[in-house]
Amino acid sequence: MTSAAAPRTQPAPIQEARKLPFWKGDRLFRFLVSACALLVLVSLGGLVLTMAFGGSKAFSTFGPSFVFRNIWNPVTNQYGALAPVFGTIGSTLIAVLIGVPLAFGAAFWLTNIAPPMVAGIVGTAVQLLAAVPSIIFGMWGFFIVVPFMAQHVQPFFRHHFGHVPGIRWLVHGAPFGYGLLTGGIVLAVMITPFVTAVMRDVFAVMPPMLKESAYGLGATRWEVMRRVIVPWSRAGMIGGVVLGMGRALGETMAVTFVIGNANTIGWSLFAPRNTVASLVALEFPESAAGSLKLSSLLALGFILMLLSFTTLAIARWLLREKKA
Amino acid sequence: MSEALHDPSLMSQSTALPEAALAVRDLDFYYGEKQALKSITMDFRKQSVTAMIGPSGCGKSTLLRIFNRMYDLYPGQKATGSVLFDGANILDPALDLNMLRSRIGMVFQKPTPFPMSIYDNIAFGVRLHEKLSRSAMDARVEDVLTRVALWKEVRDRLKEPAAGMSGGQQQRLCIARSIATKPEVLLLDEPTSALDPISTARIEELLDELKQDFTIAIVTHNMQQAARCADQVAFFYLGSLIEMDSADRMFTNPRQKQTQDYITGRFG
Repeated sequence: MTSAAAPRTQPAPIQEARKLPFWKGDRLFRFLVSACALLVLVSLGGLVLTMAFGGSKAFSTFGPSFVFRNIWNPVTNQYGALAPVFGTIGSTLIAVLIGVPLAFGAAFWLTNIAPPMVAGIVGTAVQLLAAVPSIIFGMWGFFIVVPFMAQHVQPFFRHHFGHVPGIRWLVHGAPFGYGLLTGGIVLAVMITPFVTAVMRDVFAVMPPMLKESAYGLGATRWEVMRRVIVPWSRAGMIGGVVLGMGRALGETMAVTFVIGNANTIGWSLFAPRNTVASLVALEFPESAAGSLKLSSLLALGFILMLLSFTTLAIARWLLREKKA
Repeated sequence: MSEALHDPSLMSQSTALPEAALAVRDLDFYYGEKQALKSITMDFRKQSVTAMIGPSGCGKSTLLRIFNRMYDLYPGQKATGSVLFDGANILDPALDLNMLRSRIGMVFQKPTPFPMSIYDNIAFGVRLHEKLSRSAMDARVEDVLTRVALWKEVRDRLKEPAAGMSGGQQQRLCIARSIATKPEVLLLDEPTSALDPISTARIEELLDELKQDFTIAIVTHNMQQAARCADQVAFFYLGSLIEMDSADRMFTNPRQKQTQDYITGRFG
């Protein structure tokens, strides 16, 4: 410290090197992006709280068993979530079972088999289909799918499977055309373009060299798909499925038109059912402020949000890092 | 051909040479309208390393991709002429591609481990063509990993994902994977371009070993690599084969001025 070296002039402290006013520096930028992120959190919290508080009357009246009560009777003021939740999950599962394989096939064909020109045209058509408003699917379902189900599909199934033990209950019921399966089919048509678009992007970013390596060992297209492309794209494909499920869970108009709107539970795929979103949309306007019915509808909204979160959580769990 | 058979001097010369594993004759290749290879005629000798050099876009990688018909995956690409391999024309549309590709292996510019374990990376190709017992497969995996000098490094983690290996290890795994199906020809498309010098040296050493059993065709941008590893060197420019000769001769006394200019770094 007390060396003989000549004293040097101290450089300016680093904090004072560039003193910018607040509105010019990084601090403003940081503040703005933080505010954006915070806004997302606040809206999410706000939504959950609105549903929870709004539904608290229903939950306090019926207890937690509100979720499992199979009744929806505005006349006797008895409400329960089981039937619409059943319809929501059922129609979503049908939609995913039909839509995901379709989307996978379409995306694989677009990226791996179709000539680029054709893939471009079909790819654009898929995007157009994804942009069609859901009310259009509802009307199309009402005028085309419902009569088709009533006149052809349901009679066919009843004729051939109506007496097979085990399956009999699945095809049971009068041929209205409305029902869980019809809702699932319309939902499937609706989510397929979304899932296709996501899966196509996932397949498109796969390094060509990796695929060529597999072909180079003498693998067929099927083997390359099953052993290399699918494992490599697993995460992205699950993401696409979750996106599709999210849309199917919450879809309102397309389903309302075709599901039959009956708050019932049963094995039959052809019987009219209801979904949470569809029930809320139909009965919300007829519910007086402060009534138990309105509270029950808000509680249903809360349950629907939980369903979506659960879907997301399952996806996260599927995508968890495997511990080495 | 018949002339050669009757000319004693040519006869003795051709019998002295190991016969060709791949015989390319008047090969043209097109990417849509654009011609990428022009009337290529050359032989790849068995049990030797043939290096293909030339500036980017000269068609050397394109040539490799013809030998295992990789271009078939892409519409609009077509080849005319002939490439004889074991008595058959590789370009024949009726050829069984999966069989061809099991006999002509390929390694790419970058390591391409499959999203599976180290063991399964090797077993993948083998399972496509052979039905081996568990112990026979284990033996095959150990054998090829030993040949690429990887066995000692990975013997304890064969079940771990191949993606966890270093780049040099991954590339050696890819070579092991290619030779596990017991091909006759090994195509290497700039196999060391993404690797560090030590990994590169190991792979070059490996080529020397492998040529005892395989015919090797390697594309490289690295003159020293061609000089170190190759028995024959072919120089390509703008889709044409300019010159092909033994490595010694190509690097000391090339016949063409273009070759001279390229290997001395005057262009390219």
